[in-house]
Amino acid sequence: MSNPVLLLLLSLPLLLFHTPLPVSAASSSSSSDSPTYLWPLPSKFSSGVETFSIDPTLSLSVSGNGGSSRIVKEGFDRYKSIIFKNSDVFSILSTFRKKRTLYDVVNLNVIVHSASEDLQLGVDESYSLAVGRSDNLSIMGEATIEAATVFGALRGLETFSQLCTFDYASKTVLIHNIPWNIQDEPRFKYRGLLLDTSRHYFPVDVIKHILESMTFAKLMNKHFLLRCHHILSYGKVHTQNGSAIQLRMPMKLSRINVMAEVDVPGHAESWGKGYPDLWPSSSCREPLDITKNFTFELISGILSDMRKIFPFELFHLGGDEVNTDCWTDTPHVKQWLQKRNMTNKEAYKYFVLKAQNIAISRGWTPVNWEETFNTFPESLNPKTVVHNWLGPGVCPKAVAKGFKCIFSNQGVWYLDHLDVPWYKVYNAEPLEGISDPSKQELVLGGEVCMWGETIDTSNVQQTIWPRAAAAAERLWSRKDATSGDSANTTALLRLQYFRCLLNGRGVQAAPVTNFYARNQPEGPGSCYDQ
Amino acid sequence: MIRYFRWLTNNILRSCCVSCRGQRSEVRRPPSMATRSVHHCSSLLSHTSNPVPLLLLYLLLFLFRSPFPVSADSPTYLLPLPWEFTSGEGTLSVDPALSLSVSGKGGSSGIVKEGFDRYKAIIFKNSDVFSIFSAFRKKRAVYDVVKLNVIVHSASEDLQLGIAESYSLVVGRSHNQSIIGEATIEATTVFGALRGLETFSQLCTFDYGSKTVLIHNTPWIIHDRPRFKYRGLLLDTSRHYFPVDVIKHILESMSFAKLNVLHWHIIDEQAFPLEVPSYSKLWHGAYSKWERYTVEDAYEIVNFAKSRGINVMAEVDVPGHAESWGKGYPDLWPSSSCREPLDITKNFTFELISGILSDMRKIFPFELFHLGGDEVNTNCWTSTPHVKHWLQQHNMTAKQAYKYFVLKAQNIAISKDWTPVNWEETFNTFPESLNRRTVVHNWLGPGVCPKAVARGFRCIFSNQGVWYLDHLDVTWDQVYTAEPLEGISDPSEQELVLGGEVCMWGETIDTSNVQQTIWPRAAAAAERLWSRKDATSTGSLNTTALPRLQYFRCLLNRRGVQAAPVTNFYARTQPLGPGSCYDQ
Repeated sequence: MSNPVLLLLLSLPLLLFHTPLPVSAASSSSSSDSPTYLWPLPSKFSSGVETFSIDPTLSLSVSGNGGSSRIVKEGFDRYKSIIFKNSDVFSILSTFRKKRTLYDVVNLNVIVHSASEDLQLGVDESYSLAVGRSDNLSIMGEATIEAATVFGALRGLETFSQLCTFDYASKTVLIHNIPWNIQDEPRFKYRGLLLDTSRHYFPVDVIKHILESMTFAKLMNKHFLLRCHHILSYGKVHTQNGSAIQLRMPMKLSRINVMAEVDVPGHAESWGKGYPDLWPSSSCREPLDITKNFTFELISGILSDMRKIFPFELFHLGGDEVNTDCWTDTPHVKQWLQKRNMTNKEAYKYFVLKAQNIAISRGWTPVNWEETFNTFPESLNPKTVVHNWLGPGVCPKAVAKGFKCIFSNQGVWYLDHLDVPWYKVYNAEPLEGISDPSKQELVLGGEVCMWGETIDTSNVQQTIWPRAAAAAERLWSRKDATSGDSANTTALLRLQYFRCLLNGRGVQAAPVTNFYARNQPEGPGSCYDQ
Repeated sequence: MIRYFRWLTNNILRSCCVSCRGQRSEVRRPPSMATRSVHHCSSLLSHTSNPVPLLLLYLLLFLFRSPFPVSADSPTYLLPLPWEFTSGEGTLSVDPALSLSVSGKGGSSGIVKEGFDRYKAIIFKNSDVFSIFSAFRKKRAVYDVVKLNVIVHSASEDLQLGIAESYSLVVGRSHNQSIIGEATIEATTVFGALRGLETFSQLCTFDYGSKTVLIHNTPWIIHDRPRFKYRGLLLDTSRHYFPVDVIKHILESMSFAKLNVLHWHIIDEQAFPLEVPSYSKLWHGAYSKWERYTVEDAYEIVNFAKSRGINVMAEVDVPGHAESWGKGYPDLWPSSSCREPLDITKNFTFELISGILSDMRKIFPFELFHLGGDEVNTNCWTSTPHVKHWLQQHNMTAKQAYKYFVLKAQNIAISKDWTPVNWEETFNTFPESLNRRTVVHNWLGPGVCPKAVARGFRCIFSNQGVWYLDHLDVTWDQVYTAEPLEGISDPSEQELVLGGEVCMWGETIDTSNVQQTIWPRAAAAAERLWSRKDATSTGSLNTTALPRLQYFRCLLNRRGVQAAPVTNFYARTQPLGPGSCYDQ
């Protein structure tokens, strides 16, 4: 533990004021046949052979500057209802029967050192978690999470919940392999999932459900592809602004940053439904009309409105797949280009850089799909984060030029590619081809992309999970502990377990081992084998 | 989309007038509504029916309405279609702080209060934050409907087959001179009130322009009741285990379609997930030590279902489909190499069945209990020496032994005050011996219910050609046009068809895909089982039913249910490309 004195102080009152409780039957039994499955694997941990029972009325004790945070309290309540799902009725029955059940762990200590609830890229997500006897002589069990920030504490709560299993024989929640000493921190600070609400609309409750499931895998960034659906001042464009505002709170409580994307100048045809002036012409509708001041005024207005909603420092400006034919085919745009002596490529650059400046002027760091970097690396604003997607080898080039990079190689991390099995997702490596540690630092992390062409509410969760979890472990856990053949063997077992954990929490994660993602189970059988 | 709106507007208005003119004499108006003057069919197509009060109403609308736009092109989609209803062309806004006012003997029921809170959360999903903002801004929004009256006449919370699920729902201005809107649900039982709440929630739509929940086409006058008393969904937790939360989620979604029976096929040859305290080794037959249901879990499921007006019919399928029982008690197998049907020779077999049923009786209060009896292959009986010997000793053929076993199990169930339900094979094999109380559960094909009711048995329709949801090649319209009363013309025999059930067998279904395989097709069956046949079997399905089903599918999506696209040929296939939920 990083702070043994504090712990001792905490355990003292427990020893002094609690009547000594007899050790429950469960705590003496061996648990060698009950391995504990954690996903993603913590960076350092040790465990033992004992088993403790956990009180369904588990209480929370907080300390530290951030201990009294509502985020911690609500997180604790959320996880408590997850951990004691099976036993709520049971505990009520025992109360009625006046049966005094004695549990080993009756209290969870959470120590949070910082009072700040500011959620940004690179916020300290580390935590330590210890579950064991309060001291060698004690018969009392103790569980303590210690973290620098409230968000680290939430990561610790997730791990704590994964230590807990419901034992059907004793109808009690048990923690096997005690004592646990876990010191954990993420390998990458950016661990993302892209959700595309333009190709199919996802109701707010569905997005919340996806966010909730992301926290189970310790993913921390949601790349929210709005494609212009949330425009506050430009009411004529299809708006769902009520929803956008609503989303803000749960995201923060779940400890997930939301990176919004407004993809310009391509992928923007829908904008013109409300404002046809944005189209080069009514027959040639994207990219956005580069010639008009209104285009940039509108982008500026969108970003101003969105800045109020999205506090995350990164903002995605797209910039991918820009087909400039409409610019050269439409007379007034063609004329504009000629007057300025601009090629199509230069116009594309002009547009992207202008949009970048708008974002930067609002205190945002711009993120762009890799095409912008591939086309004009020398002109790109140095603050730009390059978002890889087309294939391997882009992040090495980007970091060599001093840009930050996010890894999303479509061959492995595009979840709409249903023919990518779990182990290909798992063995993808964001730092591939980058050996210089100072350059490695520039890789913020990676993101799995759930493009929405053939995904809607009916199948989104089963397409995301379990493969997104494979990427989540790659992004969180130490590389040496999660690479190599033996690691893959143990990973499959844990991933199957994690998939069933998601099912148990109501998430529609698909069978792990089918070749095509989200295929139906091949026949009757246990979740743990499929 | 506008196209669909138009289609439906016309359709709803048409059926509205039909029910108005044809059925008016049958409409029993609740006493509290006796003074209501707006009870005429006030549709676009029938301006002439009674123009004077209508004119007054319109006048008042213009004079006193809070400033929300009237939306003539925003028709309301209801599924299943209510028995009788009329609507108008007003629009009322609903207060996000909507309060509940209860009366009648059953008004104070917790089921009503909890149901109201549930639906309130559904109806005002989008507007909670908004309303907080307006409160901060001191923007005084004035709403037309600030209160929902729920009148429940019976204090009984007993949920059984055939309990009154009827209700009336009126949304309009409290009287012509009033500017205040009023919404009232009146029902005999709390469960009728729940059905009314569901319909009320379907009347409410969130308007993104005003960020307000609106009810279009007011005044609404709805008198509703189900066509069949048994409207079921089978869930199979033996082929794949479903966590308790997933079962609850399915129950919740069933209530949106007004289904009222969960047929819980708990156990089969693959797995025995349920705890049976009297025989504690039975759940050793579970797939793993984590894929189990405790007694408490089962209670939880039954209680959760009840609070949504859903009965849980448990099934213990004997004597076939029972191999998993022997994992804990190998004596139940004829031999360790030939494992089902259950060993008919041993007293222990029937003692154990009796013990299971005694334990389950405490959990499942529903009067129907399913004893299976399907697909019994008696080879193990004739090939295992001691069983063969027993058959010879008792001078029984394998078929007679099958009958012996089924009847003995029926008697055990009846002695525990259950009405036995059996799959149709028992009826097909020995109709003359079957206990008269038996409910015959059809599945193999069409034509069985007519035979069963002709012999005086009650029947549940689940023809696998149309109502087996694991048949992915059955399209929504085939599900929709199936008819439980097909081939039965005598009204007294029709009475014996309790209803029907769609079956979600679990061989290739697990938590990842169960909801998208159930929905939207189960909703097509739900309308068949709830709504009047004449209202749902006329005209082109593409105009009378499809737009409503597509709308209902999107409603399910909004409520977090993974209902699949409606019109794909194979069930639960991915959407073909980008597009609106309402078109796919």
